[in-house]
Amino acid sequence: METDSSLTLERDYHLADQRALIERARRGDASAHRALYDAHVEQVYRLSYRLTGAEHLARDVTQNVFVRAFASLNGFRGESAFGTWLHSIAVSLSLNEIRRRKREWARNTPLDDASALAEAAPSSDPLLREKVMEAVNELPPGCRAVFLMHDAEGYTHQEIAKTLGINVGTSKAQLSRARGKLRVALAMVAEEWGR
Amino acid sequence: MKNDMSDDRYDVNQGDGLDFGPDADVVPQDDPAFDAWIRTMAPTLNAPNAAPRVEMWAAIQAARRTAVAPPRRKPWLLMSAIAAALLLGVAIDRVALRGTSAPPAPVAALPAPPSEPSDASRLYRMAATQTLTQAEALLTAFRASEAPRQSRVEMRQLGTWGRQVLGSTRLLIDSPAGDDPQLRALLDDLELVLVQIIQLSGAELDPTDRELIEGALERSDLLPRIRTAVPAGGPGADAVSGD
Repeated sequence: METDSSLTLERDYHLADQRALIERARRGDASAHRALYDAHVEQVYRLSYRLTGAEHLARDVTQNVFVRAFASLNGFRGESAFGTWLHSIAVSLSLNEIRRRKREWARNTPLDDASALAEAAPSSDPLLREKVMEAVNELPPGCRAVFLMHDAEGYTHQEIAKTLGINVGTSKAQLSRARGKLRVALAMVAEEWGR
Repeated sequence: MKNDMSDDRYDVNQGDGLDFGPDADVVPQDDPAFDAWIRTMAPTLNAPNAAPRVEMWAAIQAARRTAVAPPRRKPWLLMSAIAAALLLGVAIDRVALRGTSAPPAPVAALPAPPSEPSDASRLYRMAATQTLTQAEALLTAFRASEAPRQSRVEMRQLGTWGRQVLGSTRLLIDSPAGDDPQLRALLDDLELVLVQIIQLSGAELDPTDRELIEGALERSDLLPRIRTAVPAGGPGADAVSGD
């Protein structure tokens, strides 16, 4: 079993390793770029996918995150972990995509289609999931990000706060708000959670 | 993972630029049954597959090779730049068309970026027209040059030109102009071809690479689509006729 001190040592080693990689990447070392990519791509992609809900968008966002991060490595001052910095960029780009899609959706979707979607009966799991996803998509962007990061991806409130640049209390409050709004939006399927 | 709801959840602030909605400070009562249910449901929402690492790395490398810095998304800055560039262009056109008697006032009295949506969309349309006009000229020059005799200098010049057009294209894609699905598709196709031309400009010219670009141009029907999208008379016509 690992002790606290061995975990601390491992974390310190990991941070020192990351700093060294970043320094090499700043000097243009291609293998350092690749190592940083390999270390973080999975998490960045997962987060982008959760937030945008589409593979091609998650792919675009992830690529953009790394292109931007590598282009501005000199601007990374190391005050936060490199991963947190990447996640901040990913959230920001994902929220931009969501805003853009909402504008397009509002313009392109006829009202009849929208009400048909809203009235679809949740008769099976995929339909229920779709219903829940629709309700999640209606949450304000910041609130939605907190909910998906916490409940879907398992980030702690401390991690969310660092990534989004908010207080830990705000993260907790927004999670409560998100769940409250979802509870109202999903009242028609209340039997699912035992009402 | 700890998920306690202690009192500090009432310590609410607004994140920088994050939209938490109009009632951001209203925190509802918890419902343990619902909270437990939604926590089991949440991991199944938008559940990601494995990241396509190899494809994404290839795309990142390609984007970095073009050495074009990603655009900063500051709409007011983009609007200012577009407004200044377009109004300057319109003023120059007027002087050129109407002789030296034309007053220089339009240049001196450049307005701040307009806040009316109609003005904004007109500006974006004009910017799109200007970028597409540039793209048409660039692609025509590329096709007109004879492959075997095309020198490295020529290709480098095309590359420099391509970078400028690519920069404007990407700004447009990120702007409200990119919300128009037809224009967005055109800009996306243009971006791909420009990236290929820029990549070619720094390397030894290989006829196969040139054929690939020619093929991409043919398949996407790019030049005819650009010509259809650009109104007769070019960007200046659009700008002047509205006055």
